[in-house]
Amino acid sequence: SMAGRLEPHLEALRRELPAPSPAVLSVLLALLAVAITFLIWRFVLGRRSSRKAVLLLGLCDAGKTLLFARLLTGRYRDTQTSITDSSAVYRVSKDKSAHVTLIDLPGHESLRLQFLERFKAAARAIVFVVDSVAFQREVKDVAEFLYQVLVDSTVLKNAPALLIACNKQDISMAKSAKLIQQQLEKELNTLRVTRSAAPTSLDGSTTGGPAQLGKKGKDFDFSQLPMKVEFVECSARGSKGEEGDADFEGLEKWLAKIA
Amino acid sequence: ERGGNNSFTHEALTLKYKLDNQFELVFVVGFQKILTLTYVDKLIDDVHREFRDKYRNQFQQKGALGLLNGTFDFKDDFMRLLRDAEESGKVRAPTVMKTFEQSLKSQKTVKCMIETRGEKPKEKVKNKKNKGSKKEGTEAVVAPGKASVSEKQPSAAGEKEELTKDEILQKNREEFFKRHMKAGEKSRSPKPEAQKEKGKKPRVWDLGNSNAKVLDYSNSTTNGSAEACPVEEFDLDTALGDRNREPGRLYDLEYESDDEAEEEKVIQNPSKPSAKKGGLGGMFGMLKGLVGSKSLMREDMDPVLEKMKDHLIAKNVAAEIAVQLCESVAKKLEGKVMGTFTTVTSTVKQALQEALVQILQPQRRVDVLRDVMDAQRHRRPYVVTFCGVNGVGKSTNLAKISFWLIENGFSVLIAACDTFRAGAVEQLRTHTRRLNALHPPESHGGRTMVQLYEKGYGKDAAGIAMEAISYARNQGFDVVLVDTAGRMQDNAPLMTALAKLIAVNAPDLVLFVGEALVGNEAVDQLVKFNKALADHSMAQTPRLIDGIVLTKFDTIDDKVGAAISMTYITSKPIVFVGTGQTYCDLRSLNAKAVVAALMKA
Repeated sequence: SMAGRLEPHLEALRRELPAPSPAVLSVLLALLAVAITFLIWRFVLGRRSSRKAVLLLGLCDAGKTLLFARLLTGRYRDTQTSITDSSAVYRVSKDKSAHVTLIDLPGHESLRLQFLERFKAAARAIVFVVDSVAFQREVKDVAEFLYQVLVDSTVLKNAPALLIACNKQDISMAKSAKLIQQQLEKELNTLRVTRSAAPTSLDGSTTGGPAQLGKKGKDFDFSQLPMKVEFVECSARGSKGEEGDADFEGLEKWLAKIA
Repeated sequence: ERGGNNSFTHEALTLKYKLDNQFELVFVVGFQKILTLTYVDKLIDDVHREFRDKYRNQFQQKGALGLLNGTFDFKDDFMRLLRDAEESGKVRAPTVMKTFEQSLKSQKTVKCMIETRGEKPKEKVKNKKNKGSKKEGTEAVVAPGKASVSEKQPSAAGEKEELTKDEILQKNREEFFKRHMKAGEKSRSPKPEAQKEKGKKPRVWDLGNSNAKVLDYSNSTTNGSAEACPVEEFDLDTALGDRNREPGRLYDLEYESDDEAEEEKVIQNPSKPSAKKGGLGGMFGMLKGLVGSKSLMREDMDPVLEKMKDHLIAKNVAAEIAVQLCESVAKKLEGKVMGTFTTVTSTVKQALQEALVQILQPQRRVDVLRDVMDAQRHRRPYVVTFCGVNGVGKSTNLAKISFWLIENGFSVLIAACDTFRAGAVEQLRTHTRRLNALHPPESHGGRTMVQLYEKGYGKDAAGIAMEAISYARNQGFDVVLVDTAGRMQDNAPLMTALAKLIAVNAPDLVLFVGEALVGNEAVDQLVKFNKALADHSMAQTPRLIDGIVLTKFDTIDDKVGAAISMTYITSKPIVFVGTGQTYCDLRSLNAKAVVAALMKA
């Protein structure tokens, strides 16, 4: 029917134009068809990439990949340091049809910013995984990465919900979520002063981003951020070891809420 | 981004890896460094091929969930492949010996067969190296090794071509296994060994390892050793340099640029025809890309990579680093399946851009203010040392950094450890006076924000630094900035002195100051500075360069390649960028802007 509709138009064209060769016409038609397919394809792709992603961020060895595996399959897996992202669709609960795309990003310093750049626009929510056992030692690095995530202009604009998952609670030395929250607030308080005082960047933009984190004058608090922030304790390995289930009801409930 | 070579050594282990870019797999083989196993490459190739063929469907269809849920029971296959590889390693040995007709010697002319003194010892040294590299370094191994050597001597006399290392190893292993079956034959070893021992001479290395005194051929008064120059009388030799020159005449620079120019010309010529081919191939590639997905082959990427490499070198990236970068991008992209509407050029450009951004973004960000606050809390001064070659802008940028620190409310003590250059102390004194005028004590609660600690000229720099740090601790200064004299990286006594200063005073931050105008020299400077610091430090983990200050950035418009060269060599971040002579011309690096300037045509 498409050909039938085009026939009269072709005839009209043929009559008007000064006898063009059919080869030229067919080439033009082919190009037109290609262009239309291209536009349709781009449009479909654009629609599909609306924000449905939940990013798993954190330092190296925080437990992101294991959390990813546990959420998707429920089973324990030996994991290696990730060097690339992994994404899969996660069904929030058995009965509802809501689903989100979980994306597990590498935590290594040389890779994390690059992958964050790629996926931050599609993020509906961010799960920041913290190693509660090594937290005391790593507090500065954790705060620095969290700061970089929070002052990113795309993140500030979209304000995705933020969950800070304090992982590895099955080990007795793990710090509680409350303690981690307090320490992070203190550290971010200092960081926002030092980062905004850093020398301006080469092209004029400041390294800390034009935004000031939280309110000036008052000590930094997670409630001052434009997005909703929650703290939850979880354990990807689970208290019963590798055969048992993981302990992360808080995380699952939060995921169900934002889906 | 350093993926150019595919092996990695850590302590006693060596890792060899292979990338499969089509399915995003990494195959890694680890073995003990001392064992030089010849079948590793073959094993890794076989494993790669078999694994990929066996699970190809799973990769293509299921994605991440498939990888998580799938069981990859490969153990039996792997053991079989390992056994096959070991067998093949053993089986090859007996066929090593070639006949005379097969050898290269029969094809050589008579003239080149005339033995020169160097050939025989070269072969002996090679055999020794091979024997030394075996793990089971017991007498038992030495014996068959020597047995094979004595066997080889008559054959070597017959054919003087050198057997490759692999073949020698095959023979040695063959001997070793044979020897394992029967026992005895140890008696032959001591005598040839004694004879060999006489022939051994200590190897003299030209740099490092040897005592600095042995290498110091200069008189004590020349070449700037700080101790020998008292303030009042200066030595005419050091001030004037060459006494034989005509007074008033300016000599030309003598350097050989001919080789470099020739090399560049040679590189240009092959790249031109390949560029033409690349143009046509690019167009066909684009049309092909419109139809279906194709995987990238090395041949497709080569012309594009050549062009990118020349482009990078034109932007002042050091030549060897440009080559390594292009290699690693090629390795990362080989076999990858391209998307439908992407060309080879755009894929390669994208990958190169990512690699460059990754290089420029440091492993661990150096936040000076944060660390100063930490040190403040512990009531000790934060010590920063500036080192670099002559004339890069150490003193100027030191003044800029102290201005920045004062603006942020920290008090600074400047230690004048440049006791050689005329006017160095006066320069710092002028800066101190100006900074105090800009930030008078009244506006900071009555304390002087910046002070100079100097002991004149000719003294030992490390001693002054130590005194300055204890002075700062007593007076409660927050930061100590130590200015050292500029020195060439080849100057061994001065490098030793610098290493001593850093090892003894243990500064919190060692900054290397390099100018953005430097080209291939940057590689040499940084490598030698790091080497000197590592060699002369007594500690387990030597203090190396912690960060880079890139100066004179305003003099280059977009030829910003020096930044890449420096961060690539050291893996340390660029902490500050100097863009002028006033106190406000201090910036921090913006990786994306620099990479954009680099990739701009």
